[in-house]
Amino acid sequence: MSALTLILKKTPTQQVDVSPLIPENLTDLSKPEIGAIILVTGNQHVRTDTIFTISGDDPERLIFTGETTKLDYIGKNCSIGQINVQGSCGAYTGMGMKGGQINIYGNTGAFTACEMRGGLVRIEGDGGDFLGAARPGNQIGMMGGMVIVTGNAGARVGDQMRRGTLLIEGNAGNYAGSRMLAGTIAILGKTGNYPGYGMKRGTLLLWHSPNKLGATFNDCGCHTLGFLPLLLESYRSLETRFAFLPKTTGRARRFCGDMASLGRGEILILVP
Amino acid sequence: MLIKLTGGTVYDPMHGINGEVRDIYIQDGRITDPPNDMPIHQVYSLNNKIVMAGAIDIHSHIGGGNVNIARTLLPEDHWANPLPHTELLRAGSGHIIPSTFATGYRYAEMGYTAVFEPAVLPMNARQAHMEMGDIPLIDKGGYALLGNDDYGLRMLAANKDQKAFNDYVAWILRASQCLGIKVVNPGGINAFKFNQRRLHLDEPGPYYGVTPRQILLRLARALHELDVPHPLHVHGCNLGVPGNLETTLSTIEGIAGLPMHLAHIQFHSYGAEGDRKFSSGAAQIAEAVNRNPNITVDVGQILFGQTVTVSSDSMQQYANHLHAYPKKWAFVDIECDAGCGIVPFKYLDKNFVNALQWTIGLEIFLLVDDPWRVFLTTDHPNGAPFVSYPHLIRLLMDRSFRNDMLATIHPDAARASTLGAITREYSLYEIAVMTRAGAAKLLGLSDRGHLGIGAAADITVYTKQEDKEKMFSKPDYVFKDGELIVRNGEIIKVTWGTTHVVRPEFDNSIEKELSNYFDRYLPMKLGNFKIHDEEMIYFGQGHIQVHPCRERNSS
Repeated sequence: MSALTLILKKTPTQQVDVSPLIPENLTDLSKPEIGAIILVTGNQHVRTDTIFTISGDDPERLIFTGETTKLDYIGKNCSIGQINVQGSCGAYTGMGMKGGQINIYGNTGAFTACEMRGGLVRIEGDGGDFLGAARPGNQIGMMGGMVIVTGNAGARVGDQMRRGTLLIEGNAGNYAGSRMLAGTIAILGKTGNYPGYGMKRGTLLLWHSPNKLGATFNDCGCHTLGFLPLLLESYRSLETRFAFLPKTTGRARRFCGDMASLGRGEILILVP
Repeated sequence: MLIKLTGGTVYDPMHGINGEVRDIYIQDGRITDPPNDMPIHQVYSLNNKIVMAGAIDIHSHIGGGNVNIARTLLPEDHWANPLPHTELLRAGSGHIIPSTFATGYRYAEMGYTAVFEPAVLPMNARQAHMEMGDIPLIDKGGYALLGNDDYGLRMLAANKDQKAFNDYVAWILRASQCLGIKVVNPGGINAFKFNQRRLHLDEPGPYYGVTPRQILLRLARALHELDVPHPLHVHGCNLGVPGNLETTLSTIEGIAGLPMHLAHIQFHSYGAEGDRKFSSGAAQIAEAVNRNPNITVDVGQILFGQTVTVSSDSMQQYANHLHAYPKKWAFVDIECDAGCGIVPFKYLDKNFVNALQWTIGLEIFLLVDDPWRVFLTTDHPNGAPFVSYPHLIRLLMDRSFRNDMLATIHPDAARASTLGAITREYSLYEIAVMTRAGAAKLLGLSDRGHLGIGAAADITVYTKQEDKEKMFSKPDYVFKDGELIVRNGEIIKVTWGTTHVVRPEFDNSIEKELSNYFDRYLPMKLGNFKIHDEEMIYFGQGHIQVHPCRERNSS
């Protein structure tokens, strides 16, 4: 069986909400039935086959291709299968995802993997602002799963994150890990201003000192932390630069905070 | 165009019509006399159907700052309840605190044609009116909040004469385009700003030294002397506090016979007896209401489920904020004019206090003898969202259903309540009184709430059914100002209602002193504070109907 491929016929004028197009919704459907699924774009309702050419027959492997930047909510609440996006995508990719995998061969818009609960999102490009955060107005962001960003990430990465892992190979914007409740964010590149702003618990793992750190973080000195090699070892099986870090890494400078909040979070800056 | 409604069973308490088969003629949005030799354009045959005037909700938070903040605070309510746009209807969202369009649609679908917002802060009145202006189909009106405003308290503290105070009250009514005056926790919201957590009825406030009772008396007297039809709309002291029954009784006795409307009385009828120091005071309250013909009440019934409490009573809302579910809340002070507190809440039938609150509300409904003086409200969204009215009506009209529900709540609360022993069942006539005629009479809306000649043709037609919840949730027809807007519970036409206001006479020379006060203390000039008629009829969606202040009672 070949992957079910959805090719955008032409660039939509407005963003398209493709949230109904996830593997578990499509498994028992024939191609005409898939084509009849109603999508919302702007204030219009349109059939899937009016904007997509559909080919292939394995809905467990779903491919979006064409001008995919116009697609919002790719893989919303997805729990099985694999979705590949051959290009950049719009906002809210992988929102509320529970399982399965989404691969994006391009950049993503804001709120990627927001309120994610499980599964894996791999971004071969840059992640937008509010990666793994909560939807606007909500109080709890990402609650499980893993996101790998091979490029850079925007501001407010992991805002109000509760559980799970964000692995960012490039740089992150300002306020990384803001208002974090728990979970792990590892950033290989540089970090913008005020990482961990208002964080309650959780871990920010940095390889470079941030530009500016809030005054409400306490410097706890350098430590050799036994768990760090184990943590990094757990990334070995993944397809990311984090899998190839030297095995000896274990010494880090520890900042505790944000004392203006609960203050049980930590920023670990690895000592080379 | 002449429309004839023929063969319907009419309930029109204003004219004492109790279930008589009558014909009704509608012309140009009004109910008219049977015409001679005029062609009838449309005939609706209403055999076995019940005809009532459009329902009126006298106390429901549908517009203004607090509602908007509640919407912002509860995005989950909007995600879970989307209302997609159709050819006819605009999009919207929300169930417990619906967006403006959804509010109008849901009310009209239930046969309501007029709804009154009880908390219009004069400082925010423009925003409240614009928001209500976005609510289609129904008529609107507001009660302006006084009693915690800095200027009014200054006047009382300086012991200004009643005439000057009357002028101020009338000026506020005019400037904020409102139909009545409401007071919320008199003096208490102001006291909260001075770090006080409780203010009793006869306790002088911390800065101005004015007691809540003085505020109530001065305002009630002002409205009486200005001949404003709607009496002072009171949200009393100590809302929700066990034992507040005494405060409420004292408020009723102490108003010196002046007309007064007590809002959401259920929240003010708690005793402090029993193991849990929480008991029902419904019997005493109902007795006091029965004994004092100057008092009217609306109940503010709670119904189980998720809702959000919105109130200007920031003092009491702060006291409740630890019970918030989901755990978030918001408080605002608005330019020393009034307060605002938003606390989401979930009423649980297995919770003793909530279950007892439920029985207290129903007891008050059933123990107040005169349906002209008790009104059907849930204090939307505080007690429950307004869409649960049909359920509430069934609870009142169907004793066996009520007892079935009583059997499901917390057993101690059911045991502590006398509800099971009350046999009264509301009749259709009494429901028509409390939701139509009585409400229109209390508000001074002479051409609404009845089906007499000359009345506005706001008419609701139901199919007679044993299940009253089904009957009242889906009317067959709803006419608004003579136009058919709902058929079989679905909206078929969208019109725009009227804003009801009163404009008592006053001496305009008070503007000089007010203007100085505005310039010195407030963020806007007096000229901007006043809302002009042109703003109300913006884009032709709105209309204003000015109701006369009635002739002074000769008694």
